[in-house]
Amino acid sequence: MPALRNAPTVVRVTDVSKRFVIRKEKSLKERIVNFGRSQKHKDDFWALRNVSFEIKAGTTIGLVGANGSGKSTLLKVLGGIIQPNDGTVERRGRLAALLELGAGFHPDLTGRENVYLNSAILGLTRKQTDEYFQSIVDFSEIEEFIDTQVKFYSSGMYVRLAFAIAVHVDPDILLVDEVLAVGDEPFQEKCMNKIKEFQAEGRTIILVSHSAGQVEELCDRVVVLSHGNVVFDGGAADGILALRESFEH
Amino acid sequence: MATQAEVRAERLAQLPFEASANAGPKSVGGFIASVQEIFSHRELLDLLIRRELKSRYKDSTLGFVWSLIKPLVQLLIYYVFIGTVLGAARGVPQFAIFVFSGLTLWGLYSEIIASGTSSIVTNAGLIKKVYLPREIFPLASTGSAIFNFLIQMIVLLAAILLLGQFPISLNLLYVPAAVVIVLIWGVAFAVLLSALNVYLRDIQYLVEVAMLLLFWASPIVYSWNLVVDAAKAHSWLLEIYLLNPVSLAMLAFQRGLWQAGSQVNVIGTNTIQPQQWPAYMDVRLAFAAIAGLVVLFIAQRIFARLQGNFAQEI
Ligand SMILES: Nc1ncnc2c1ncn2[C@@H]1O[C@H](COP(=O)(O)OP(=O)(O)OP(=O)(O)O)[C@@H](O)[C@H]1O
Ligand SMILES: [Mg+2]
Repeated sequence: MPALRNAPTVVRVTDVSKRFVIRKEKSLKERIVNFGRSQKHKDDFWALRNVSFEIKAGTTIGLVGANGSGKSTLLKVLGGIIQPNDGTVERRGRLAALLELGAGFHPDLTGRENVYLNSAILGLTRKQTDEYFQSIVDFSEIEEFIDTQVKFYSSGMYVRLAFAIAVHVDPDILLVDEVLAVGDEPFQEKCMNKIKEFQAEGRTIILVSHSAGQVEELCDRVVVLSHGNVVFDGGAADGILALRESFEH
Repeated sequence: MATQAEVRAERLAQLPFEASANAGPKSVGGFIASVQEIFSHRELLDLLIRRELKSRYKDSTLGFVWSLIKPLVQLLIYYVFIGTVLGAARGVPQFAIFVFSGLTLWGLYSEIIASGTSSIVTNAGLIKKVYLPREIFPLASTGSAIFNFLIQMIVLLAAILLLGQFPISLNLLYVPAAVVIVLIWGVAFAVLLSALNVYLRDIQYLVEVAMLLLFWASPIVYSWNLVVDAAKAHSWLLEIYLLNPVSLAMLAFQRGLWQAGSQVNVIGTNTIQPQQWPAYMDVRLAFAAIAGLVVLFIAQRIFARLQGNFAQEI
């Protein structure tokens, strides 16, 4: 339901390719022993190949594909966390990312300190964070543990706090990589509601998920990746079929 | 009436597109852009410095006191063993002030480099999850090293006052110059080594060993006069010794804070001549600072080149 007819483009991905070089040796000794041969010693492969698409403001995109098809890599490229070897990514607006497990938390600091650290990274000033702090804690429902070091958190508590922060920094674009799966049922429910609220507010959401149900329920558009290539880009229902098909290859 | 979604869409339509980082400008322009980016994240830098200080002593009962105990124990060791047992104090007036000022400045330099070098790898958790100018991590290490340095400075100044040695003279201007040089070179190495350490983890161990050796390449526990005497026949050796910017900074620091070093002293039956400070010290300091800035620029450029792959290599 992209609410607007002529919504502006917020993300433009042009011909992006990402190659990983896997060096098997990392220590000095191994490097010296393998010196000269080391060119041959590395494997490289393309995690993304000539990926292009545009995203209009207010769309919710489901990014699906088999394990290892490049979904997380694509999100990291979108977030500017890794750079593509080829192609460009352009985007505008504030971006918040929930990438795989364990947002950018520091294990030795308390939940409270991590909230401030994370909000600062996402571009909030201290004063703004003070304002949002209580509602972040309320949303995450971990008030009791907010002054505990996050290394003692359960993975669900971790995600609760990370999600609560990400949705309170007023992002225009939200990247979510599978993190919701570890929340318990009521919390997942709450996140879904929040995402729907976000949709109504015209925010752009890019969601990586292995749950076909979730994707069908939330997404306006589905992009299917297979071995780093975009093999389908279109409506949600057809996307799920294309995904099933891509498993056969 | 416009809905929230329409308002947002309208605002977004006005914003310019930001291209991903590797399309940015190169060389000087790139350096300036990086400095601006870091400056705009100064609030975050402040937070990271606090975090570093806090997390370091988080689970210890004595907390910050530990940052003082280490240099004081070092002082004790050098004072007792080198000063008294080996007799260095007989040739160096106010040996305690001399050694502690050397240790304080060296502590700043070695802490910037050692903790800076591992800073990218230890912050892997953040680097893999969010984008921010990554130079911020070696800079945060530098910030926490400066904090420890300031605490030691307070102890040093208090000791100087207690011993009635307060050095009120123009020589005091050498102190900030020395600190600035140590900061420039320390940050340059920290930035460079932190990036290299991602690709070759041995760097951080190599750095530890190198710092142990370099400690003895600067006049910290032995005096400059000793070096001058040893190299009497070959004055070019002294020039080589002074090429090390930290040795030069060390001398400037001592010249500013260790008043007794610039005077004739009598210890027991010995008359000790003042230190033969190198000629043209201010010119040398200026050169060391400029050379340091050039190295810092190169280090940042290499860092910028390497940082694109940090998140996938850690
Ligand atoms: N830092 C890295 N170094 C080398 N190879 C990597 C790196 N990160 C990812 N890869 C490789 O890139 C490919 C794509 O990985 P990616 O994490 O994007 O998959 P994914 O689609 O998110 O899979 P999943 O559904 O399991 O999360 C994988 O084959 C993976 O091994
Ligand atoms: Mg993944």
